[in-house]
Amino acid sequence: MSEKQNLSAVEYIKLKSHGLRGTLLESLQDAITGAVREDDHALMKFHGMYEQDNRDLRAERAEKKLDKLYSFMVRMRIPGGLVTPQQWVAANHIAGKYSTGVIKITTRQTIQLHGILKNNIKPTLQSFSKTALDAIAACGDVNRNVACASHPHQSAIHAQIHAYADKISQLLLPKTRAYYEIWLDEEKIEELNEVDPLYKDSYLPRKFKVGIAIPPNNEVDVLTNDLGLIAIIENDELKGFNIAIGGGLSATHGNANTYPRLATVIGFTDTEEKTLKAVYEVLTVQRDFGNRSDRKLARLKYTVDKMGVEVFKKELETRCGFTLEAPKKVLFTARKDEYGWVKDYQNKWHYTLFIENGRVTDENDYNLKSALLAVAQSGKANYRFTSNQNLILSDIVETDKATVESILTEFDIINKQSNLSSLRVNSMACVALPTCPLALAEAQRYLPALIDKIDIILAKHELQNEDIIIRMTGCPNGCARPYAAEIGLVGTSSGQYNLHIGGDRIGTRLNTKYKEHLNEASILGELNTLFSLYKKGKKATETFGDFTVRTQLV
Amino acid sequence: MLNEIKIQQWNALIATLSKDELTWVHGYIAGKLSIGTIEPTVTASAINTTQKVTITYGTETGNSKKLAADFAAKAKKVGINAKLISLDQYRLTDLAKEDYFVTVISTQGDGEPPIAAKKFYDHIHQNGFTIPKLKYGVLALGDTSYPLFCKTGEEVDAQFEKLGATRFAPLQKCDLEYETEANEWFNKVLQLINTPTVETLVATVLPAKKITTKKTYTGTIATNINLNASGSNKQTHHIEIIADDVDYECGNSLGIVPENDLETVTEILTIVGINRSKIIAFKKESDTVINVLTKKANIAYLQENTIKKYAAIIQQEIPIVRIDLLDLLKIYPVKDAEQFIEVLSILNAIPPRLYTIASSPIAHNGEVHLTVAKDVFEIDGLRKFGLCSRFLSLQKTNTQLNFFIQPNKRFKLVEPTKDIIMIGPGTGVAPFRAFVAERDATGASGRNWLFFGDQHFTTDFSYQTEWQNWFSTGVLTKISLAFSRDQEEKIYVQHRMLEQAKELYEWIENGAIVYLAGTKNPMGKDVEHTLVQIIKEQGNKTEDEAAQYFEKMKDELRYMEDLY
Ligand code: SRM
Ligand SMILES: Cc1cc2nc3c(=O)[nH]c(=O)nc-3n(C[C@H](O)[C@H](O)[C@H](O)COP(=O)(O)OP(=O)(O)OC[C@H]3O[C@@H](n4cnc5c(N)ncnc54)[C@H](O)[C@@H]3O)c2cc1C
Ligand SMILES: Cc1cc2nc3c(=O)[nH]c(=O)nc-3n(C[C@H](O)[C@H](O)[C@H](O)COP(=O)(O)O)c2cc1C
Ligand code: SF4
Repeated sequence: MSEKQNLSAVEYIKLKSHGLRGTLLESLQDAITGAVREDDHALMKFHGMYEQDNRDLRAERAEKKLDKLYSFMVRMRIPGGLVTPQQWVAANHIAGKYSTGVIKITTRQTIQLHGILKNNIKPTLQSFSKTALDAIAACGDVNRNVACASHPHQSAIHAQIHAYADKISQLLLPKTRAYYEIWLDEEKIEELNEVDPLYKDSYLPRKFKVGIAIPPNNEVDVLTNDLGLIAIIENDELKGFNIAIGGGLSATHGNANTYPRLATVIGFTDTEEKTLKAVYEVLTVQRDFGNRSDRKLARLKYTVDKMGVEVFKKELETRCGFTLEAPKKVLFTARKDEYGWVKDYQNKWHYTLFIENGRVTDENDYNLKSALLAVAQSGKANYRFTSNQNLILSDIVETDKATVESILTEFDIINKQSNLSSLRVNSMACVALPTCPLALAEAQRYLPALIDKIDIILAKHELQNEDIIIRMTGCPNGCARPYAAEIGLVGTSSGQYNLHIGGDRIGTRLNTKYKEHLNEASILGELNTLFSLYKKGKKATETFGDFTVRTQLV
Repeated sequence: MLNEIKIQQWNALIATLSKDELTWVHGYIAGKLSIGTIEPTVTASAINTTQKVTITYGTETGNSKKLAADFAAKAKKVGINAKLISLDQYRLTDLAKEDYFVTVISTQGDGEPPIAAKKFYDHIHQNGFTIPKLKYGVLALGDTSYPLFCKTGEEVDAQFEKLGATRFAPLQKCDLEYETEANEWFNKVLQLINTPTVETLVATVLPAKKITTKKTYTGTIATNINLNASGSNKQTHHIEIIADDVDYECGNSLGIVPENDLETVTEILTIVGINRSKIIAFKKESDTVINVLTKKANIAYLQENTIKKYAAIIQQEIPIVRIDLLDLLKIYPVKDAEQFIEVLSILNAIPPRLYTIASSPIAHNGEVHLTVAKDVFEIDGLRKFGLCSRFLSLQKTNTQLNFFIQPNKRFKLVEPTKDIIMIGPGTGVAPFRAFVAERDATGASGRNWLFFGDQHFTTDFSYQTEWQNWFSTGVLTKISLAFSRDQEEKIYVQHRMLEQAKELYEWIENGAIVYLAGTKNPMGKDVEHTLVQIIKEQGNKTEDEAAQYFEKMKDELRYMEDLY
C-alpha cells in the first residue's frame, strides 16, 4: 500500500477538510484580503477554482502598499465539452459580468473564466448553476473533466459513445455536498451521511484524467490521459473499449524521475457495466497504491511503472472480479478537428471554428465573441468544445444552416477562418502569463506572433500546406500537450524555450528534446534548417515528425 | 478731576453704602484699574438686582463651545443669570429683547463663519433693523497662521455696532493658545455687567498675543506615491517628508502654504505686461512680482470683497462672483502694469491648507507622512484641480517643503490601555495609520477597531498591506471595510457600523473612545447620525437620551472628530 509515512502537506489538508469544506466560509469573510486562507487554496481546486494574481501588476501594487491583485480562475465541468446554446449565452453574460470577459476553451473541452474577485465567486457559480453547469471536481485530486471525441461526424453512433463521458463523470464525482453548501447556499447536511466509498477522506494522490477516442481520429490525445478508452466499433455497432492506463505528460526541468508517458493499452471490455467497473477500479487502485508523499511522483503513470503493468492489471482484475479481454486492433490515422461545414450521418450540419488558443473574445476587429453570442441566441446550434481548444457549432438542421451561416458571414467569421495558415490551425498554446503561477515563459500571448514568422519560413520551403502540429507551453507541465506534438516548444525562462521534435501526427509517439533554451532567433534558425532538410529528404506523404525520427535527428 | 455733577453723584452714592458695600466698591475699583487681574469679589447678596446675560457661541471644532460653557458656569458662580446657547439654536427674533449678549465665535475656511453660525451671521448682515437695547461683547477665536485672522469675530463685532447695539466690552481676538486671554477678558466682562455704566466703548480691539510656539519647518520629500491602482477614479498621494527636528503628536495636522502654478502666473505676467523681477510691496514685505505671484498672493478663486475692490480699481461694473484672477484679467483687463500693481495690493495672502498627519513621531522618527487626495472639480465642463493638493501631488522627491504643525486640542490619541474605534473612510484613514503605528511601536494594550471605506477594494484600499500586517500581528483587532462601488447597492462605513451595532455599542459602553475623521459632508454627518441611532437602539434610549449620551461623549472627549 502507499507509503503512509511523511504524507505531503496536501494530504493532511484533505484529511482534515470535513468533506472539502475546510475554512472556505471563513476565507470568504476575510474582507481585508482578496485571497483565501493558506490551506483553502488546495480545497478551492476541488471546487473547480484556482487562486491567482495578475503577475504583471505585482511590482506596481507593492509600491502602492496594495496587496497582490488576487482573483480566481473557475473551470467548469463539461463532460465531452457539450453545452446548449442557452448555456453558452449564460456563460457569455457571466463572463462579462464577473470575469475578464474572455471565455477560454481549454485543452480538455471545457471553459475557464479568469479574474473573478473573491466576492464575485458565489454570484458566478450561482449563475452557472441556474443554467445547470457546475465546476465540481474540475480540478483537484479527483477525476477531472472527461474528454471525448467531439465531432458527431466521427461515427454514426457518436452520441452513444459520447454519453459515456457524462456517465463516467457522474460515476466519479465526489459525494460531499460542500460545493452546494458553500457556493449555492444549500442547507448544511450532516457530513456523516456523505461517506464516499471511492474517494474516502483523502481522495486521490493526484489529479486523474479520463479520455475517450473514436478511431481513426485521435484529436482527444487519448494516450496522454491517466485512463484512455478507445471505442471499438464494427459496422456501426459499439463492441466495447480498449483500456489504456498510465498516460500523463508533465515533467519537471532537472528532475529525472519525472517524465511524460503515453498510456499502455492493457485490455478490452465489452459491456457498459464492465467498462464502468474497470474505470472505477483503476481509480481505487491508484487511490490505494499511488504515492502520497511526493506529489511530483503521484500520478497514475508512476504508480503503474512502480508496480509494473502486469501487477497493476492483476490487482485491477481482482478488484473488478473479471479479467480483461485482449485489446482489439485499432488504427489511428489523424489527430485534427474537421474545420468548416460537415454533414453527419443524421444529416445534421456542423461548423468547426479554429479558435486561437481557445480564447473567445472580441479584439482587433475580429468580433468572435459577439458572433458566437448571436449564433447562440438564435438557438439553432449546440456548442461542442474540442480537445484542440476549438469549437463546433453543431447539430444544425438543414433548414437552419442558412441562418447560422448568415450570422457567421455578417461577422466576417467564415472569411477570416478560411485565411488561416495550416500551421496555425494545427497549433495550441497554454494560458501561461499573466495568470498561471507556474509559467516560466509566455505561451498563448506569444505563439500567434511566432507562427507569423514560422509561416514565412515554411512558405520559403513551400511547406505551407503541411499539417504540422505545433504546441507551446510556458512551463514543462505540458498543458497544451507539447510533448505529443511534431514541434513542441516548452518554456524554460522568459523568452526561452526547449525545442522538442519527432512526435508523430496521430499522437502515438511522443517527441524528444532536440535543443535547449532557445530564444526566438534560435528557434527560427533551427526550424529553418529542419524545414530545408525535410523539404529535400521527405518521402511522398511522410510527416515532419516521422521524417525527423527516420533521419535520426532525434 | 471729576466734574461737579459726578462728584455729587459719587458722594450721594457713598452715603448710601454699607461697610461691606464700601469694601466691595474698593475691590471693584482696584479690579477695574488693574485690568481685571483679580477676580471681582462679587457675591449675589451684594447686588440688588441679578443681571442677565446670554452667552452664545459659533463653533466648528468645539473650542468656542467649551469656552462659552466655562464662561456661563463662571457667571452663574457670581450670581449672574447666564443663558448658554449655540448660535444655530438661537431664535433670531430674540435679539431685539436681549440685554447683555456675549458671543464667542471662531473663523473658519478662508475667513468664513463656522457652518453652525452661518444663519446668524447672515441674519445680522441683512441690516434693515436695529437692536438698540442690546449690550454686546465679542470674543473671536482664530489662528494667526491664517491671513484673515479672526475675520468673523471682527465682522460680528462691527455689525452689531451698525445695528445700533452697545459695545459694552472690547472685541477680544485670540490665537490658538486662547485660554488665559479669554478668561481675563471674561473676568472684565463680568465686572462690567455687574456695574451698569452708561459709557459705551468706541470700537476697541484687544489684539491677540501672537503665540510664539508655532514654528515653520523645512522638510525634504522622501517619497511621493499615488496609492490608487490604475483604473481608480481617485488619486491619493502618500507623501513622506523628512524633517529631523519636527515636533508633533498623533492627531496633529500639518499646515502648508501652496505655491501657485507657474504656467498660470506666467500667463498673468504676459497679459498685464509687467516685468517679473520688479520689486513691489506685498503685505508690508517687498519682493519681486514673480515671487509675490507664485509664493504669496492668492490668485485662485478670489473672494467676493477682492472682486469688489478690483472693480473699484479698474472702475467697471463686475458681477460679484468668485473667480480666478487670470480669468478676471482676461474678461476685465487692467489698464497697464501700474494698475496691476494696485491690484496686487488688494489680493489676500495664500491661506494655508491643513493635512492630518498620517505618521507617528515614535514609529516614524524624524518623518511626517501625509495622505493627500487630489481635489478635482469641474467648472463649466472644465476639469480643475485644487491648488494645494495638486501642488503636493507634483512634489518631486528630494525637493524641500516648508510647513508648520497644527495642534488639535480635540483630536488626540488616548492612553495606551483604552480601546479605540477609528472611523476613517477616504483620507480620513490618515490619522488612524498614525494611531495604530504608534500603538504598535509602543506596545499599547488597548484594542483597535478600524472602519475604512472607499470606492473599490482592488484599487482604493489605502495602506492595505500595512493594515494586513497589523491585523496579522494582532495590533489591529478588527477591521470593517465598505467599498461603495463593488456591488449594485452603495455600501458605506455607516452601513458596516449598523451591521456591527451590537458589538460597537458594547465597546463604547466598555469605555472605548470613538474617533471620526475625513470629509464633513456627507460622510461626517451620516456617521454621526448613525452613531446616535446605534446608541438609541442598542441602549434602548429615546431620541433625546441618545443625543445627550452622544453630547456627553463629545464633552468628555470620548468621541473625537477631525472633519473637513
Ligand atoms: C487551461 C489549461 C491549459 C489550456 O490552455 O487549455 C491548463 C491550465 C493550467 N494547468 Fe494544466 N491545464 C490544462 C490541461 C493540462 C494538460 C493537458 C490535458 O490534460 O490534456 C496537462 C498534461 C497532461 C497531464 O495531466 O499530464 C496539464 C498538466 C498540468 C500540470 C502537471 C500535472 C503533473 O502531472 O505534474 C499542472 C501542475 C500541477 O498539477 O501541479 C497543471 C496546472 C495548471 C494550472 C491550473 C496552473 C496551476 O496549477 O495553478 C493552469 C491554469 C492556468 C490558467 O491561468 O488558466 N496542468 N494540464 C488546460 C485545462 C484542461 C481542463 O480543462 O481541465
Ligand atoms: C483639519 C483638516 C485636516 C485635513 N486633512 C486632510 C487630509 O488628511 N487629506 C486631504 O486630502 N485633505 C485634508 N484636508 C483638506 C485639505 O486641507 C484641503 O482642503 C484640500 O486638500 C483641498 O485643498 P486644495 O488647495 O487642493 O483645493 P482648493 O484650491 O482650496 O479648492 C477647494 C475647493 O474650492 C473650490 N474651488 C477652488 N477653486 C475654484 C474655482 N476657481 N472655481 C470654483 N470653485 C473653486 C472647489 O470646490 C474646490 O474643491 C484637511 C482639512 C482640514 C481642515
Ligand atoms: C479649515 C480651517 C480654516 C481656518 N481658517 C481660519 C481663518 O481664516 N482665520 C482664522 O483666524 N482662523 C482660522 N482657523 C482657525 C480656527 O478659527 C481655530 O482653530 C479656532 O480655535 C476654532 O474654534 P472652534 O473649535 O470653536 O471652531 C481655521 C481653522 C480651520 C480648521
Ligand atoms: S503549461 Fe505550465 S505555464 Fe502553461 S498553463 Fe500549464 S502550468 Fe501554466
